[in-house]
Amino acid sequence: MKQETNNEMDLLLRRLGRRDDAVMPEDHLDADELNAYAEKALPAAARARYTVHLAECSRCRSLVAQLSSSAGVVAATDTAAVSEVSGFRKFLASLFTPMVLRYAGPALGLILVAVIGFVVLRREQSAKYIAQETNVQQPPAAAPTAEKYFSDENSSKTVPSSGLINPEIQEKNKQPQPAPPPNTAPVVSSVEADVSKDKAVAQPKPEEQAATANEPPPAKREPSATPEPSPRAAETDVARNEVKVQSAPAAQAPRTLRKAEREDKDNVARARKPADAAGTVTAGSGSNLQIDGVDDVKADTRTVAGRRFRKHGGVWIDTAYDASKNAVTLARGSEQYRALVADEPAIKTIAEQLAGEIIVVWKGHTYRIR
Amino acid sequence: MNIAIEKVLNEGATRLLGRASDNRSLSREAMVPRITGAVEKYLLKDDAGTPHAEIAKFIDDMQADDLCLIIACERGDEKAWNDLVERFTATVRSAARSASKNEDAAEDLAQSIWAELYGLRVRKDGMPASKLAYYSGRGSLAGWLRAVVAQLAVDVFRKQSRLVQTDEDTDLERLARVAEGQPLVAGIPSPEESLSNRFAETDMQQALNQAVQELPAEDRLLVKLYYFDNLRLREAGAVLGVHEATASRRLTRIQTDLRKRVTKILVDERGWTQAETERSFAEVAQHLDTDLESLLAAKSTK
Repeated sequence: MKQETNNEMDLLLRRLGRRDDAVMPEDHLDADELNAYAEKALPAAARARYTVHLAECSRCRSLVAQLSSSAGVVAATDTAAVSEVSGFRKFLASLFTPMVLRYAGPALGLILVAVIGFVVLRREQSAKYIAQETNVQQPPAAAPTAEKYFSDENSSKTVPSSGLINPEIQEKNKQPQPAPPPNTAPVVSSVEADVSKDKAVAQPKPEEQAATANEPPPAKREPSATPEPSPRAAETDVARNEVKVQSAPAAQAPRTLRKAEREDKDNVARARKPADAAGTVTAGSGSNLQIDGVDDVKADTRTVAGRRFRKHGGVWIDTAYDASKNAVTLARGSEQYRALVADEPAIKTIAEQLAGEIIVVWKGHTYRIR
Repeated sequence: MNIAIEKVLNEGATRLLGRASDNRSLSREAMVPRITGAVEKYLLKDDAGTPHAEIAKFIDDMQADDLCLIIACERGDEKAWNDLVERFTATVRSAARSASKNEDAAEDLAQSIWAELYGLRVRKDGMPASKLAYYSGRGSLAGWLRAVVAQLAVDVFRKQSRLVQTDEDTDLERLARVAEGQPLVAGIPSPEESLSNRFAETDMQQALNQAVQELPAEDRLLVKLYYFDNLRLREAGAVLGVHEATASRRLTRIQTDLRKRVTKILVDERGWTQAETERSFAEVAQHLDTDLESLLAAKSTK
């Protein structure tokens, strides 16, 4: 509407301009006044006085218009003359010539877009890692299991190198972090003290310790809602020691745990030896999973439907898993999942027996079941 | 002029001579009258009580070298005159070419400029009556010379144009005939429509003319530069010392102001209703649009 309004006024003003029969003043501006006006060299009051004249006098107006254009050209020429004095300025000026900008502008734009795209992709990737590492480091407190407390050097070598669940990568990612503040020292030392007290018992993560410390003793607790059985006996020993551990900030917990784990590797290895006899917990086809709760190490590895799985960071990983191969990701209950288990009932058995995320290698294909 | 201002002028002249890279051995007494003339013309005429600091700044902003050169020329300094011719021959020739139709006319114009500057007549004091006396030193000497050339060219052109009718004049006459009810292209408006439109248009044009005259001087200058002189926005902006985008925004605002003012004049002074005004704006604009098309069609068939 406003545009139409302006169009109407535009046409009316053009007509008025063509019919201009205004009487031209007899007096005109002299050359000095015309030039001073065109070069904007007049004081404000004098300029206003001449503006009134110019609004009425087409002769002077046309001269000022002509001189104003020339003044611009002269100014540009002067600027060019000054720039010739400095070679560096000349070089800089040549960088910003229209011809250069014509090609350099789009090229710079493309480079900028490429850089932004690269950075965004990198950030997305690292965000994915961080998310997965967070899952690894902070398993659900409702179902703390003893097998999580162990760090198996051998198993870590078989873990995919993609960084999804590799503790080594977790370590690398954690290394640049600043040292814990002095007030965390008592927490670490208390864990270390526990380790030294009870060499045979693995240490839980501090945040889990804090969680379990607030809970009643395992013997009195209700069975866990998680279908995955938990080694109560182990927890009992752990919980007994955990009472001494004060709750620590979540950010310090993984570091504290790793310190304890590193020092306790030999102890863990010793703890595994007596468990070799039981070794694994075998789940028959459809039968309930029997767990020897006395030895925590047993819960680390399971064999279901003839496949052996090792748990890392809450994920059951087929020991035959090759990280270099692509995995097909399936969600339980999805159409794809139902189609797969219809063809391969054994995978259904595995999925039923092992709670949480599973990576299973079956007939040369790798499936990640969530 | 009081003593205090004279003191400011004397001090300003001294500073100006000190600033000049070549003051042509001029004395302060030679400079003061020229500086005084410029101060009176551009400052004291508008405000006799201009603060002394403002006067001093005005003098300090003057073109020291150009003013010394011109005063030296005026006083008969041959070297200064040679310098003037040497430095500004190209400027004068360029300005003359811009203002002339051909090379011969440009050369004639340039020569007549030098004659005007040198001063063929003699003043009472025995000095040549030169145009150089009108250079104040406020703007650049090159710009002033261009202005002198342009003024002379306009005078010459006006003398010649009385004898020659241009195509542009013919077009304007055609438009004028259309406005008077003599359509160039048959069948565009009916006689009744033409009559009705003419009455409405006359009222509206008169109201618009009045509204334009009531605009502030700077807005009126912009309207004249753009609509009356057919300059581009960039050129009109250069006269006002603003960017063309600013000139464009200002023009849009002026159009809106003018419409409001025209409506008010028609309603208050001519007894129109608001609805009639709105309708007439659209009708008149449509009618003018048709006129323009007629003009373009007539031009294309020529």
